[in-house]
Amino acid sequence: MTDAVSPEAPTGADAPALHISDLFKRYANGVEALRGVTLDVREGEFFGLLGPNGAGKSTLIHCSTGLAQPTSGVIEVFGHNALHDYEQARQAIGLAPQEPNLDWFLTVAESLDYHAGYFGMPRAERRRRTEEMLETFSLTEKSKERTNSLSGGMKRRLILARALMHRPRLLILDEPTAGVDIELRLELWHYVKQINREGTTILLTTHYLEEAEQLCDKIAFIDKGAIVAQGTSAELSRRYGVSNLEDAYLELVGRKELSRSTTEGRET
Amino acid sequence: MTASQIRFFTLWRREVNRFMKIKRQTIGAPLLETFLYISVFGAALGTRIDELQGFDYVIFVIPGLIMMAWAINAFSNNASSILQQKFQGAIQDQLSSPASPAQLLVAMSLGGFTRGGIVALLTFGASALLVDLPLAHPLVLIASLVLVGFVFSQIGVLVGVRAEQFDDVALAQTFVLQPLIFLGGVFYSAELLPEPFQTLTYFNPIYYMVDLVRYGFLGVAETNVLVAFAALIAVTAAVFALNLHLFNRGYKLRD
Repeated sequence: MTDAVSPEAPTGADAPALHISDLFKRYANGVEALRGVTLDVREGEFFGLLGPNGAGKSTLIHCSTGLAQPTSGVIEVFGHNALHDYEQARQAIGLAPQEPNLDWFLTVAESLDYHAGYFGMPRAERRRRTEEMLETFSLTEKSKERTNSLSGGMKRRLILARALMHRPRLLILDEPTAGVDIELRLELWHYVKQINREGTTILLTTHYLEEAEQLCDKIAFIDKGAIVAQGTSAELSRRYGVSNLEDAYLELVGRKELSRSTTEGRET
Repeated sequence: MTASQIRFFTLWRREVNRFMKIKRQTIGAPLLETFLYISVFGAALGTRIDELQGFDYVIFVIPGLIMMAWAINAFSNNASSILQQKFQGAIQDQLSSPASPAQLLVAMSLGGFTRGGIVALLTFGASALLVDLPLAHPLVLIASLVLVGFVFSQIGVLVGVRAEQFDDVALAQTFVLQPLIFLGGVFYSAELLPEPFQTLTYFNPIYYMVDLVRYGFLGVAETNVLVAFAALIAVTAAVFALNLHLFNRGYKLRD
């Protein structure tokens, strides 16, 4: 990763929530997961990142949160270089990862408490916040249960609650509703929309296009490690000359024959 | 407390919480094992063995057993804890926090160090009730036990970070560490061994650690205590520096 904060990059109040410039990531096995990604997520935005499996979404998130080390490029979180000012950069981020990565030895309440401790939150504040998050995510009754005894839906709730424990300014949700029932999905949508309205910037990756359409102010398509298009849902549809985001996505992945307008027309 | 101190304390607390939740396995079993050694080698066989270095056999073996308890528990705790966290993915919560690589390394190391220390302290307390255990050089004893505990906790971190399956941890513990410890003079004096085993023992670093701890308790040593102490400090510093380098690089921790 390049050393210096780019001179043109704004810092302080004007800085984007996430600024990524010319980001490359090559793994030890030679796979080039990111190839020159440049992206800005503005403060307060609800930003969607869409792309097929293996497009580089999770790698981009891992590079931004310190779970992967970029090969080159610049990542800044609210103006803080993610490599050199990692303490400030990571303090601003809450990550709800794609795979449930809960500590089996901890109870639900401990998971929240320890996470907040990792982010330097004092004990009394941790206690208050833990109660608040348990209540918000309907986890109070499960607070003393070990995380490995939770259902899939409960684990999802806990992961989101944990990501929010330290009150991050940028919340990164990596496929947060994958495999959850419709009731929980709608509940999570409702909550993330609310915290976005309250000022938290959100970066969402999802395979559910209606989720992106419903929630996101701005959407970027990532494919083969590069951002190939970005804009509002309407702008992307116009760009690909189609009527909706799903068809735009199918154009991107080269599977326009799967478009519902085409297949439904064929069936009638 | 500053945010950084809270972070460090929480990382350490997580490690202690883990082994205390399975304390029958992590504290109880090693304690029982150590007492079986004391019973078999000290009380049963010891009655048929003459004094070693002027002490009853049971008193001769206890310092080595205390050191062994600290070393093996420090090692196995850290190796298992880190590998488990890597398997679960739970380590991501710590790696994506603002904690520095040095904070992560020291806190993770201190988990095993603490567990080893608890087992060693309980063994010492119970032994002191059963036999009249001398404390010839308390400062040397404390310093050498702390260094031994710390270096083995570092080796545990190193093995845990490098390991990709539990077999890797078992391999290091069963085929490297335990033979070195057992053949490091815990149960005998190297001077009693025939050649070439006596000379081979002098190439075993554990031998010097056992001798140093025994010197702290009994006041007698087979090696040069100052040289052994300096070597132990050097080895501890070298393993710590290697681990810090690996943590800074994110070796097998960050993609």
